[in-house]
Amino acid sequence: MVLPGFLTLLVFHYFPMYGILVAFKDYSAVQGIWNSPWVGFKYFNTFFHDPMAYRVLRNTLLLGIYSLIWSFPAPIILALLFNELRNKYFKKFVQTVSYFPHFISVVIVAGMLKEFTARDGLFNQILAFFGKEPIMFLLEPEYFRTIFIASGIWQGVGFGTIIYLAAMSGIDPTLYDVAEVDGAGRWKKVVHITWPCIRPTTIILLIFSIGGILGTDFQKIILLYSPETYSVADVIGSYVYRQGILGAQYEYTTAIGLFMSVVSFIILYIANWVSRKVSETSLF
Amino acid sequence: MRKRRESFGSRAFDVFNILIMIFILVVVLYPILNIIATSLSSARYIASGSVTIWPKGFTLQAYTDVFKDPYIFKGYVNSIIYAVGSTGIMLLFTSLMAYPLTIPEFAGKKFITVFLAITMFFSGGLIPTYLLIRSLHLLDTVWVMILPGAVGAYNVFLFRTFFMNIPSELKDSARIDGANDLIVLFRIVLPLSKALLATFALFGLVGSWNSWFEAMIYLQSQDKYPLQMVLRNYLFSLDTNAIQGRVGAGNVAINAPGESLDPKAVRMSVIVITMFPIMLIYPFFQKHFTRGILIGSIKG
Repeated sequence: MVLPGFLTLLVFHYFPMYGILVAFKDYSAVQGIWNSPWVGFKYFNTFFHDPMAYRVLRNTLLLGIYSLIWSFPAPIILALLFNELRNKYFKKFVQTVSYFPHFISVVIVAGMLKEFTARDGLFNQILAFFGKEPIMFLLEPEYFRTIFIASGIWQGVGFGTIIYLAAMSGIDPTLYDVAEVDGAGRWKKVVHITWPCIRPTTIILLIFSIGGILGTDFQKIILLYSPETYSVADVIGSYVYRQGILGAQYEYTTAIGLFMSVVSFIILYIANWVSRKVSETSLF
Repeated sequence: MRKRRESFGSRAFDVFNILIMIFILVVVLYPILNIIATSLSSARYIASGSVTIWPKGFTLQAYTDVFKDPYIFKGYVNSIIYAVGSTGIMLLFTSLMAYPLTIPEFAGKKFITVFLAITMFFSGGLIPTYLLIRSLHLLDTVWVMILPGAVGAYNVFLFRTFFMNIPSELKDSARIDGANDLIVLFRIVLPLSKALLATFALFGLVGSWNSWFEAMIYLQSQDKYPLQMVLRNYLFSLDTNAIQGRVGAGNVAINAPGESLDPKAVRMSVIVITMFPIMLIYPFFQKHFTRGILIGSIKG
């Protein structure tokens, strides 16, 4: 019974793990992975001496940090605001609408961004209204990160509230009643009841986010960037895609991928360790 | 338990909060409505930038033109095949794998659990996966869109948790009547798991419908492109370089747009066509996905 699933996993998950060996080889498709000659850490060396390496690492890290700063807290704040809405139907309606962008494909999101930032697009219409010159937002490096992060929030903030709202719905209502008897206002109740109750969820998700800091959504980047914005937009994922799939430098890009996986795992491990020490909440 | 008197601060906050919610509604709905409206408007109004959330100079020409492009129709069919195929296989394989993990006597339980868990933490990455697909001669085949993502460890564990909560008396009594495990799974366990299956089916269908990257790297012939790839070609074809802005309206892959047709309306209509199935199922879907997330949060 487990056989179909077992084989699928074996082939599509375990075989690629074996394929990581390519990073240490001069791969030739004719000889296969095993018979290709070993070259040790040659391709890792190439990466450390690649002038592009610094750029893609910096861009990956910066986009990761910015999205941690902006995209991570957004759903928590929104969930708290949802929780304070009094009209049940209005609340339900806003929630339902706010979840929707999560189900819009990346291609559509990128396409919308392109249309709205175009010369005759919405943003330039607004600029024109204020008498400003039009800006080609997607061709100007200085706007790329803002566009990327802001659209990421647009896509994910509503859906991200679900898990926090679930945590909030588990809070015993008598806690609020008791607090009210003690004279606590709404703000006090949020700070002393709601927040402590969603804190464990927040910490777990924070650890995941920190662990995923290098895992930028490069699909959106591939759709949005252009040589004009490579200086800020080119990240590990997009670089690996260009050099590996388009440029057929399989060994080199596998080495980059492996290097990044190892670094990501270390970051996750450290985040988890710090969290366990500081907050006594941890994944493992 | 309504308070006798709301403080001024509390009421001011309510107003502020509702304003934020209205802002959110506008920010989410405006772009979507604007796209739909633009796709239905005539060139004159689009060019003057006066289309907001309601079509001006209503015309269906963008749609009639777009549907003349055979790749749109093919893309639709392909997307449906990939979505239904990958979701069907996902549900089947995941159920088959999860159910034995709920049987105490199953000898390989521990091994399979570890085997699954490892895939949650380690993966080969983009390039080794690509090389594998290539060496299996799966490039540019239908299978590459259906099989590789069929089984995920996370889903298997969620299915297992759900199956475990089904009262074991039901399964036991069937076994006593001589049913084997497959019969128990298909006749008893799965019919009792309709909520689970519906949730994952919807997530699977939507995920597959919205994916494009796999198609881009694994498929070469346009005949096999899912709709998202067709859409991508409409929206982004020539232009990663600077055409945007200079050419303004951009580049449309179909020939001879009529007088009243703005290329922008064409692009918007393809977006609407691509988004349409999602919008259609969304009202039914949104009841399910809260539950989907909650099933997920039981463990971890």
